[in-house]
Amino acid sequence: MLEIKNISKIYGKEIAKVVALNNVSLRVNEGDFIAIMGPSGSGKSTLLNIIGGLEYPSSGEVILDGKRIDNLDEKDFVDIRRRKIAYVFQQYHLFPSLTALENVMLPLTFCGTEKGEEKALETLKEVGLEGRAEHKPSQLSGGEQQRVAIARALVNSPSLLLADEPTGNMDQKMGREILGLFYRLNKDGRSIVMVTHNPEIAGHAKEIIVLQDGQIADKISQKGGRQ
Amino acid sequence: MRLYQMVVKDITRRKKRVLYASVGVVIGVATIVAVLTIALAGETSINSQLEKYGANLMVMPAISNIDVGLGGLSLGTLAVGENRIPEDKLPEIREITDGLIREARGIKAEGNIATIAPKLYVNAEINGTSVVVAGVDPQEEHKLKTWWRVSKGRYLQTPDEALVGATVAELLKFNVGDRIALNGREITIAGILEETGSNEDYQVFVPIETVQEAFDKEGLVSSIDIRALCSACPTTEIASAINGKIPGVRAVAVKQIAETEMGMLEKINRFLLALAGITLAVGCFGVVNTMMTSVHERIKDIGIMKAVGASRNQIVKIFLYEAIIIGVAGGFLGYVAGTLLAYIVGPLIFGGVAVSYVPQYFLPSLVLATFVAIIATVYPAFRASKIKVADSFRSL
Ligand SMILES: Nc1ncnc2c1ncn2[C@@H]1O[C@H](COP(=O)(O)OP(=O)(O)OP(=O)(O)O)[C@@H](O)[C@H]1O
Ligand SMILES: [Mg+2]
Repeated sequence: MLEIKNISKIYGKEIAKVVALNNVSLRVNEGDFIAIMGPSGSGKSTLLNIIGGLEYPSSGEVILDGKRIDNLDEKDFVDIRRRKIAYVFQQYHLFPSLTALENVMLPLTFCGTEKGEEKALETLKEVGLEGRAEHKPSQLSGGEQQRVAIARALVNSPSLLLADEPTGNMDQKMGREILGLFYRLNKDGRSIVMVTHNPEIAGHAKEIIVLQDGQIADKISQKGGRQ
Repeated sequence: MRLYQMVVKDITRRKKRVLYASVGVVIGVATIVAVLTIALAGETSINSQLEKYGANLMVMPAISNIDVGLGGLSLGTLAVGENRIPEDKLPEIREITDGLIREARGIKAEGNIATIAPKLYVNAEINGTSVVVAGVDPQEEHKLKTWWRVSKGRYLQTPDEALVGATVAELLKFNVGDRIALNGREITIAGILEETGSNEDYQVFVPIETVQEAFDKEGLVSSIDIRALCSACPTTEIASAINGKIPGVRAVAVKQIAETEMGMLEKINRFLLALAGITLAVGCFGVVNTMMTSVHERIKDIGIMKAVGASRNQIVKIFLYEAIIIGVAGGFLGYVAGTLLAYIVGPLIFGGVAVSYVPQYFLPSLVLATFVAIIATVYPAFRASKIKVADSFRSL
C-alpha cells in the first residue's frame, strides 16, 4: 500500500549540513507491523515524518496506493491525513482544554462531520477508555492519554497508523498495555509503522528495520510477530 | 461538534489565557473611550457655557470703558464718551439684525425675529445697602434668560414690580410681597430668582420704564443684548453692520468674546483629541503585538491540528473565531473601563465638569476591537499555518 523509494533527507547547508536519511527504500504492505529501531539521531523520526507527510524528502519518492504523494502540496495532503494515514506522538499532543471525547472528535470536526460523538465514543471504547470520555488530559495518566491519542488517530479509520515512540514516556507496564493495543489494532487489519527504542516492543512487530546513520542497516522479518 | 463550537469550548475553558490575550484590546479601547468621553464632556461644557451667555451680540455705548495701563501694568478702567444709548436706536438695531438674519436664513415672514433686550443699570440704595438695579424689558428678558427659574412668587407682570436675585434676597431678607423704595418710588417684590451662579444673583430686576422714570433716565439704556436664536446666524456681520450704521454704539458678537475666554478649554480639548488619535494608533499596535504573540505561542497547536486533519483554512478560521470572541469581549470591557476612567479623570481635567457615558461609543468600541483583533490574528495565523507539522513541534 505504501512504498518509499530512494528517499534522502538533508537538513541545512554546507557546514551545517546533516544527512538525516540516505537513500532509504521501504515497503509497507496491508496488515504490516513494522518497528523502526536505531540509535538516537539515526533518522527514525525523519523517516516516519516523511511517510506521514509531516516533512518533505529532499529526493526520492513516496507512493501511496499507487500514487506519488511526496510532491503533493499542502491542500492535497490534508485529505491523506484525514482518510489514510494517522499519527501518534510520543508526547500525546492532546489539547488540554478539551475532554478526551472532544479530543477524539477533533479529526471528525475537521472532516466536517457534525455528529461525531457516537463514532468518537465508540473509538474510545475500542481503546478501553469509555469511562473517561469527559476527563481532561490532565486528569488522565500517561498511558490513558496515549490511548486517547490513539483513539484520535483511529477515529477516521485510517489504513496506516504511524507512531513515534508511543511508549517512550511511560513505564514498562503501561508500555505493554499500549503495545497490546497496537497489536490488536494490527490484528484487526491496520498497518502500523512504529518507531521504538524498546527491543521487547519491537519484538512484537512482524518486521524490524534498523537504521544507522540515515541508512537501513538491517531488516529482520519475524513471521507473524511474537505473541 | 462544529469548528466554532470547539473554539467556544476551548476558549471558555482557557479564560485566563484569553483574558491575557485581550488585555491589549481592553487597554487600547479603554484609553480611546476615556479620552473621547472626556473630550466630549469638555466640549459639552464649553457649549453649555456659551449657551449661558444667552445673548449672541452685545451693544454698548461707544468707548464706554478704556483699559488704562502702562506697559503690562493695569491701572484700571476709565469711562470715556457717552455712557448710555438713546432708546430710539432700538428700532434701527432691530431692523439691521432681523434684516441680516432674514437674508442669511432665507426667511420671508414678517415680524420680529431676534430677541432684543435693552438694559438700564443703576446703583440704588435699598434698605441702606447699595444694590445694582437692572431695568429690563420683561418679555424680551424672559426670552433671553432661558435658564431663569423663579423660586418664590412669580415673574414680572406690572410696572411696579421687582424680581430679586437669590443672593440679594438672602442678604437683605426679602420676601415676596415686600415693598421697597427705589429712589423714592415704591415697588413690590413679585418673585425671587433661583441661584444662577452669575452676577444676576446680586441684581434686582425691574421693568425698564420704571427705572428710567425713577432715576430720571427717560429714553436711555446702558446696553442691549441681542439673541439671534440660531447657531448659524451671522452675528459677526450683524455686529459690524450695527457698528457701521449707528454712531455712538459699539456692537460685539459674544462669539468673539467667548472664543478668547473658551480658548483655554478648547486647547485642552484639542490636545485630548490629538491624544485620542495617538492612543488609537498605539492601542492598535499593542493589540496587534499581543495577538501576534498569542498566535506564535500556539504554533505547536497549529501543528497538532494539521497532523489530525485540519486544513489551513480551518486553522485560520479557528483563529478568526477566537479573534471575534476576544474582540467583542475586549471591546466590551474596554468600553466599560474607559468610561469609568473618564468619570474619574474627566473632572480633574475640566474642573468638575459632569462626565456622562456615551452610548454611541459602545458599538464602535466593539467593532474597532474586533476589527483590530481580526487583523492582528488572522494574518499571523495564516502565515503560521504554512509551517510544516514537524517544524511546529520543534519550534518550542
Ligand atoms: N529540522 C532539522 N534541522 C536540522 N537537523 C535536523 C532536523 N531534524 C532532524 N535533524 C537531524 O537529523 C538527524 C536525524 O534526526 P531524527 O530526529 O530523525 O533522529 P531519531 O532517530 O528520531 O533520533 P531520536 O531517537 O533521538 O528521536 C539528527 O542528526 C538530527 O539532528
Ligand atoms: Mg525521534
